[in-house]
Amino acid sequence: MIGHRFAAVVVAASTLLLAGCGIQIPADPSGTLNAVEGGVLRVGVTPNGDWVRVGENDPSGTEVESLIGFARSLDADVQWTVGSEESLVRGLEEGQLDVVAGGLTDQTPWTNKAGMTRPYAEATRADGSTVKLVMLVPLGENAFVSALETYLTDEAAHEGAAP
Amino acid sequence: MTATIGFGHTALPERQARAVRRAVRLEWITIGALVGIVGLVFLVLGNSQAMKAAWIEDLLSFIPPLAFLIAVRLARRPPTARHPYGHHRSVAVGHLVAAVALTAMGAFLIVDSGIGLVTADHPTIGTVNLFGVTIWLGWLMVAVMAVTAVPPVILGHMKLGLARELHDKVLYADADMNKADWMTSVGTIVGVLGIGVGLWWMDAAAALFIAVSILHDGVSNVRAAVVDLVDGRATTFDDTQPHPLAGRVDQYLAGLPWVAEAGSRVRDEGHVFHVEAFVVPRKKRLSLKEVERAREECIALDWKLQDVVIVPVSALPGVLEASGRQ
Repeated sequence: MIGHRFAAVVVAASTLLLAGCGIQIPADPSGTLNAVEGGVLRVGVTPNGDWVRVGENDPSGTEVESLIGFARSLDADVQWTVGSEESLVRGLEEGQLDVVAGGLTDQTPWTNKAGMTRPYAEATRADGSTVKLVMLVPLGENAFVSALETYLTDEAAHEGAAP
Repeated sequence: MTATIGFGHTALPERQARAVRRAVRLEWITIGALVGIVGLVFLVLGNSQAMKAAWIEDLLSFIPPLAFLIAVRLARRPPTARHPYGHHRSVAVGHLVAAVALTAMGAFLIVDSGIGLVTADHPTIGTVNLFGVTIWLGWLMVAVMAVTAVPPVILGHMKLGLARELHDKVLYADADMNKADWMTSVGTIVGVLGIGVGLWWMDAAAALFIAVSILHDGVSNVRAAVVDLVDGRATTFDDTQPHPLAGRVDQYLAGLPWVAEAGSRVRDEGHVFHVEAFVVPRKKRLSLKEVERAREECIALDWKLQDVVIVPVSALPGVLEASGRQ
């Protein structure tokens, strides 16, 4: 009984305290979302199917379109870096990139080194199996990953609703 | 349901039999509650180390109730030629197994969480989409932890009284752990909220706190179980003081007219005690009838005194504190 009341008090007090101080929850330990808002979204892409195509000009593809939309929603410009998955993941680790895309799935082996978004869409591979698409973000930048996930989910919902 | 419940060859008094039935029911309820809690916590586990530690603690909480249910079942078996002392020690074995599991898991979690703290793992916790609404997963973790904090505490308090009644140390260890379970929940909530405000290390620190509490439970229970298994002096169910029954047996025997001095060794077999009582008779000749009556009277002192052996000697063995009459 005591435990119940104590736990409730702790939760209520912390919530009020945090909300009252105007602290954002979740927050980024390294302030990624704040840096991107009104600034530059540093995107790493690696070519993969229709999701990311790279050529002479700026990259294109469905994930590229999504990220351009996300940057626009944050009033940010996009700065593209093309590379292999490993070099892009290192870019996330070293704080030189904010997000990595390239038809990555939730089976990606990079989860020790980078944060993974919630799957935002499903795709069917050539062999008929279904994969869940994700993007990679810096570890522990929870305000940023939440903003990205929310944007991707809303976008997917809009597309689903369109004829 | 109303069949006589016994421990070994003693049928329990009605009061204790009812306590056993209640304890068994409470342990089944505990297991049911744990299934729900483990499932619920698993759904929102995410990347939080504190959540992982809390979840593992919940999984470990299955061991004591299971050990209790198995031990109670085994202890009912009457003594046989192969097991002349009955099966009461199964309680101690269950106790030891549960304690070792706790210790090992606590140690593992301390290392695991410590590594996370040293290598500065920033836990990534994103959002979930619940019925079309996107919310931060951390809020769900906090909610689940707040809800799952309650039932174990209530169950723990209910089991504590029964553990005293039944002199059952596994049940006591279980009740004690349940009672302290809310600290795990509050610790986890603090860790998750820490992640929420951008203090990544609070998660690993909370996990470390939980791991230390698991290890502490484990070590103190290993100690208690080992003391019982190596036939340490019988103590009360919470191991805080020597059990008063040994003194009562000595007092009763020393009060008999044919006894000069009495002292006994008491083994805690689990729920019940086995007593070797040494008596120094006043005269050289003993009446068999008197010895047998003394034995029966001793057993009748308390339901926990299951087996009493009376050994007439010319002087008490050195380790015994004699409670003799002048």
